[in-house]
Amino acid sequence: MNVTEYIASGILESYVMGAVSDQERREVECLSSIYPDIRHELDQLSEVLESYALSHSVEPPASVKAKLLDQLDFDKPVRETIVRPMPVNLETTSSPTFRITWVVAASMGLLLLLFSFFLLSQLRTNQKVLATIRINNNKMQAEMRLLRDQKTQTEHTLAVVRQPGTRTMELRGNEKAPQGTMLVFWNSLTKQVAVQVQSLPALPADKQYQLWSMVDGKPVDAGVFDATNIPDLVQRLNRSVARADAFAVTVEKKGGSPTPTFSTLLALTPVNA
Amino acid sequence: MKFSIFGSLNIHLVKRQSSLVSESVLIEKLTQRDQQAFQWLYDQYSPALYGVVLRIIRDDEQSSDLLQDIFVKIWKNLDAYDASKGRLFTWMLNIARNTAIDSLRSRKTQPFAAIRTDEENVHIVDRQHNTEQPNPDHIGIKEIVNQLRPERKQLIDLVYFGGYTHEEAAEELNLPLGTVKTRVRAALQELKQLFKS
Repeated sequence: MNVTEYIASGILESYVMGAVSDQERREVECLSSIYPDIRHELDQLSEVLESYALSHSVEPPASVKAKLLDQLDFDKPVRETIVRPMPVNLETTSSPTFRITWVVAASMGLLLLLFSFFLLSQLRTNQKVLATIRINNNKMQAEMRLLRDQKTQTEHTLAVVRQPGTRTMELRGNEKAPQGTMLVFWNSLTKQVAVQVQSLPALPADKQYQLWSMVDGKPVDAGVFDATNIPDLVQRLNRSVARADAFAVTVEKKGGSPTPTFSTLLALTPVNA
Repeated sequence: MKFSIFGSLNIHLVKRQSSLVSESVLIEKLTQRDQQAFQWLYDQYSPALYGVVLRIIRDDEQSSDLLQDIFVKIWKNLDAYDASKGRLFTWMLNIARNTAIDSLRSRKTQPFAAIRTDEENVHIVDRQHNTEQPNPDHIGIKEIVNQLRPERKQLIDLVYFGGYTHEEAAEELNLPLGTVKTRVRAALQELKQLFKS
């Protein structure tokens, strides 16, 4: 606080003149007890006003003094008030305040406690909801991934099938694989060939299926493929097939063989003209 | 001898050097209900307090009654006096002034004390000069006070002796409130300088 400004504000002059509100009076009394400069200025102003009052001095009638000397009780010290038992005083005045403070503090504490319980339960509910949502989300993502994969496969299939000139042949398993069934897509224009396994027996790790195209009664390697259990998966084979009278499938060692092992022939189908 | 303490205190006061030790001795004696101490207090301060009351009430008889009430109040409330909050004389002056202004307001038979005419002032001065023991110190102070600019003196009298608030004084003198506040400060600062020199 700026003491100089406060002194210059004129409030101290108003104070000694008795022209301040109760609040201003308390303020001046408080500040003057803190700041020696304010105290000093206040004392000086008080002296000024004392002198001013003195300048108006008028000797009062002698009767006043006589009446006072008669009226007042002398030689009866009023010290009782000073030696009054302080603890009793303290107890009576401070005890209710003390109790109220405790009650207020306790209720505040209780409120705070209840509020934290409320917050905790909210938090738990939210966590539960969040967990459910997360599980659902994962499920949906998995489903979506599956759908996307299926869509990609479908697109692959469609891409193969849509090409003009693509022929689709169904190969059915012979007695070695009675349940076996697969499709062969062959485009004589682009010379591309692809297979879609619908059901073929699973093979050991060192074996693969191999497709053969029959040209003039001779088998020609048309690529290897796996007996996948993924439905609708179209496996493009990286061999060009320019001509084919029929297609055959054998089981060969992994990577394929230059000539077919006829003992493992599973299926054979002619190319429909 | 009992009077020696108060004699030295008297000199201190006249020289305007507040002596806390002496004042605390006086208060100590007063709270012990010492009659000599009270007589000293009365002799020392009653002219000043009476002058203030007279300025406010403007009636000799009522002022005498009030002065009696004021000294009874001082006597009864000595315990409430706090030396750390201000000087004893200032405290007594405030009691006198407040008692007189309260009395004036409660009677309401007349408006707040207006500014005295010069004629009345002369009357008071004359009466003071005619008192049995003219105090040369007070006369010196009076001359100093008379050096104060008239418009400032008028305002101090209105607020201090009339019990006017700054707002009431502004209305009475037809001045802006700010001017009144500035002038009150200027008046006291001028008096301060006058008393210093």
